Amino acid sequence: MSFLVRQISLTADGREIVRAASFDKGQLSLGRAAENDVHLPDLALEPDHARIEQADERHIRVRAMGTLGFGLDGRTVLRAEIDTAMGAELRFGGHRITVSRDEDGTTILSIRRVDAVSEASEEKEETKVFSLRGLLPGKRLTAWGMALAILVGFLAIPIWSYASRPANDTRNIYKLVGDKAWSSGPLSQAHHALEGRCETCHQKAFVSVRDSACQTCHKDAHDHAPASRIAMARAEPGLGGKLLAGVAAAFGKPPEGACVDCHREHEGAGPMQPAPQAFCTDCHGTLKDRLKDSKLGNAGDFGTSHPQFSALVQTLPGKYPRFSRASLDGKRMDDSGLKFPHDIHLSMTGGVAKMARTMKAQYGFGDALACKDCHKPTADGVRFLPVSMERDCQMCHSLAFEKIGGTVRTLRHGQPDQVIADLRAYYRSTGPAQPVALGGMARRRPGDYAQGQIYHAWFGAVAARPSRADDAIRAVFSKGGACYDCHTVTPPGANGNANWQVLPVHQPMRYMMNGWFDHAAHRTEKCESCHAAAKSHDAKQLLLPGIDSCRTCHGGEKAKADVPSGCAMCHSYHGGDGAPWMPADRSAKRDEVDRPRNNRGD
Amino acid sequence: MATRAPVRTRRAKGEVLHDGFLRHAGFRWLKTATLICLLSIASYMLVDVTPHHNGGSWYGYTMGTIGVLLILWLTLLGLRKRAMTRGRWSLKAWTSAHVYLGLSLIVIATLHTGFQLGWNVHTLAYVLMMLVILSGLFGIAVYATLPAALSNNRAEMTQVQMLDAVRAIDRQLHDAAQPLPHDKAALVRQSLEQDPFGGSLLARLSGRYPRCATARAQAALRHWTGDKPDTGNDPLERIDALLERKQAMLARLRRHLRLKALLEIWLYVHVPATFALLAALTAHIVSVFFYW
Repeated sequence: MSFLVRQISLTADGREIVRAASFDKGQLSLGRAAENDVHLPDLALEPDHARIEQADERHIRVRAMGTLGFGLDGRTVLRAEIDTAMGAELRFGGHRITVSRDEDGTTILSIRRVDAVSEASEEKEETKVFSLRGLLPGKRLTAWGMALAILVGFLAIPIWSYASRPANDTRNIYKLVGDKAWSSGPLSQAHHALEGRCETCHQKAFVSVRDSACQTCHKDAHDHAPASRIAMARAEPGLGGKLLAGVAAAFGKPPEGACVDCHREHEGAGPMQPAPQAFCTDCHGTLKDRLKDSKLGNAGDFGTSHPQFSALVQTLPGKYPRFSRASLDGKRMDDSGLKFPHDIHLSMTGGVAKMARTMKAQYGFGDALACKDCHKPTADGVRFLPVSMERDCQMCHSLAFEKIGGTVRTLRHGQPDQVIADLRAYYRSTGPAQPVALGGMARRRPGDYAQGQIYHAWFGAVAARPSRADDAIRAVFSKGGACYDCHTVTPPGANGNANWQVLPVHQPMRYMMNGWFDHAAHRTEKCESCHAAAKSHDAKQLLLPGIDSCRTCHGGEKAKADVPSGCAMCHSYHGGDGAPWMPADRSAKRDEVDRPRNNRGD
Repeated sequence: MATRAPVRTRRAKGEVLHDGFLRHAGFRWLKTATLICLLSIASYMLVDVTPHHNGGSWYGYTMGTIGVLLILWLTLLGLRKRAMTRGRWSLKAWTSAHVYLGLSLIVIATLHTGFQLGWNVHTLAYVLMMLVILSGLFGIAVYATLPAALSNNRAEMTQVQMLDAVRAIDRQLHDAAQPLPHDKAALVRQSLEQDPFGGSLLARLSGRYPRCATARAQAALRHWTGDKPDTGNDPLERIDALLERKQAMLARLRRHLRLKALLEIWLYVHVPATFALLAALTAHIVSVFFYW
């Protein structure tokens, strides 16, 4: 019926000191207060924490006084009965009490402080606690972890993805991610369907993109010039260019002139950019120095170094016209075979303007004639249709000569033989019984000229009051007659002709055969700002503006002009008849092109 | 470089005057790096690359090659620093060059990109490189400014002495709190049981510990003692004084920890990011020539 309490403590050098006390009573008090039998200076305990009682010979009962309880073999309990023969371990705050029993039945309570007084008093490793170790994962671990993750994610997976492609790749491009991280930028709009299918162009690993890859789809791309001439034309590269060529050659890249040299990809989504000017000027900037036989002038920049335009002009009109390219410098002539004074027609005063005013309602003319009244654009708006007598002239320049019933008979335009035949038939059937009131163009009265009015076309014939068909025919074809005003007429006998001949007229729709000019793109401009038609008194005067006129708005690619213009704006490298390739970013304008335009503002 | 300013070189050899790696040899490497940057920028402006600057032009390749060689050499400091030597190629000279040439890499690599960045492995390498450089810059900044503050804060105590001071206060607190009733004793125990080296990384770097148990214990204690006269024999008064001392000691310790953490933290970015950079650089170079 007694307790032996052994308080064990450690000295600084780790030696155990045991203080034993015997209690010969049935109950021990335990707590933080000094008056307890078992005094444990432990702030985790209540002043009067627990009682330890002898229950019977072998058993003791431990009971907490408050609500805090104690630990018994790892569990927290409020009371416990312990077989001292079996032993147990109790835990009070930072103290451990081992319960045992000696041979004579005394219960032994061995008390040991197991926790330090405070957290700071625990053993600390200086280099660890005073550094960030423990707060952060180790540098080495992070370093290798990150490096490995990057090598797997950005090297191994893309290569695996490349190696494991199916031969017939029908996968959705939005599901391909393996080597996406390698793409230096999105593909252009036109090639968007190839996004993620790197091997379409990059066909072999470590082999650069070859022209053959492009030509799989682009089968009809023309060569610019024979390869040997291109090789001669290319300027000697600078030091940097040589370096690049060296690197390129070392890695097995084909020499310059490959498709990808001009057509750069991975430059961002949206329309592919036109080839930059520099790709052209590599050769054309100083072409004359190397290709001595070239007819082309050097062209380095539209704004500063570009030869004057050359237009394809007619030097000899007729059935077999002759053309030649002529620079637009100086006075340019283009003989279409037609006689036409622009100045009279565009004048704000005078007969034509007066006539136009009377026809406002019927033909939509203004106070005077404007360009659009005679010149009609093509459906795409790029050029103008040839002027047509029937459509564009006849409303004023009528060829009517007789009215039968309600029907007006007109001479057939463009068919002199028919004109002659018609006139002969007229005289044969009716005879010139009644002189017809006719007049030359200068003598027409307003209101008496329009189609449908009875009205004589044989102007000269009126004056002559012809009595025979031959006179009438001669009058029509001679000076003062209907044909002669606009056409060059040769009488019978000249040049071995049997009959009257009218020189055929050829109106070209395109003058610049190697450059592209789009009238639709210049809709905001007035016609007169480029074409000095109002001052032209002769149809032979070529009204094309020279390069200086263009340069008021257009400059080189990098110029500070209103419209910076690279070569590709007007010229096509792959030499086709159509417009040079342009990025398709003008959806709005394309809609307009599709719609027919009757009345153009210019 | 070697032929310039021979007098200075000799002095640097003799190590007569102390100057740090930043001022080494009259800012020799700062000048070198500045020159490299100016040359790079000038050539970038003068060289007309078609259609526009990019990593695949000859200029881009040149810059890229210089950049990658520089990166490899800079990484070698990790090996070089383990062997301290003197003289022209002393560790100090090497470190000085590491710092300034590393900074010039900002210009070289940026010009290499031609300002074409995107979500890809190429930009990843660039970003990691910038991360390494910026963390290094942070490191230089703290190395230049914090050691003085660290020394002032320590007041000639060693780290172990600081810890021992806290321990001594803890022991006194433990003894002084013995007579207290349980609820008040629990407050003191909170202060004792909180690890002075605990707290998150954020607390360590900011030096702010809003959940400091010692401060809380003192505040609660003052709630009780505030309206009582100081008789001199109330154990709470003694505990209050002890908590006051502990707070002061903790403040010093925490300032010390904060400064040390700032001196260390950048390396936790600098070193792993360097390795990540080397990996990304490998992927960058391989990928460029793989799909070339």
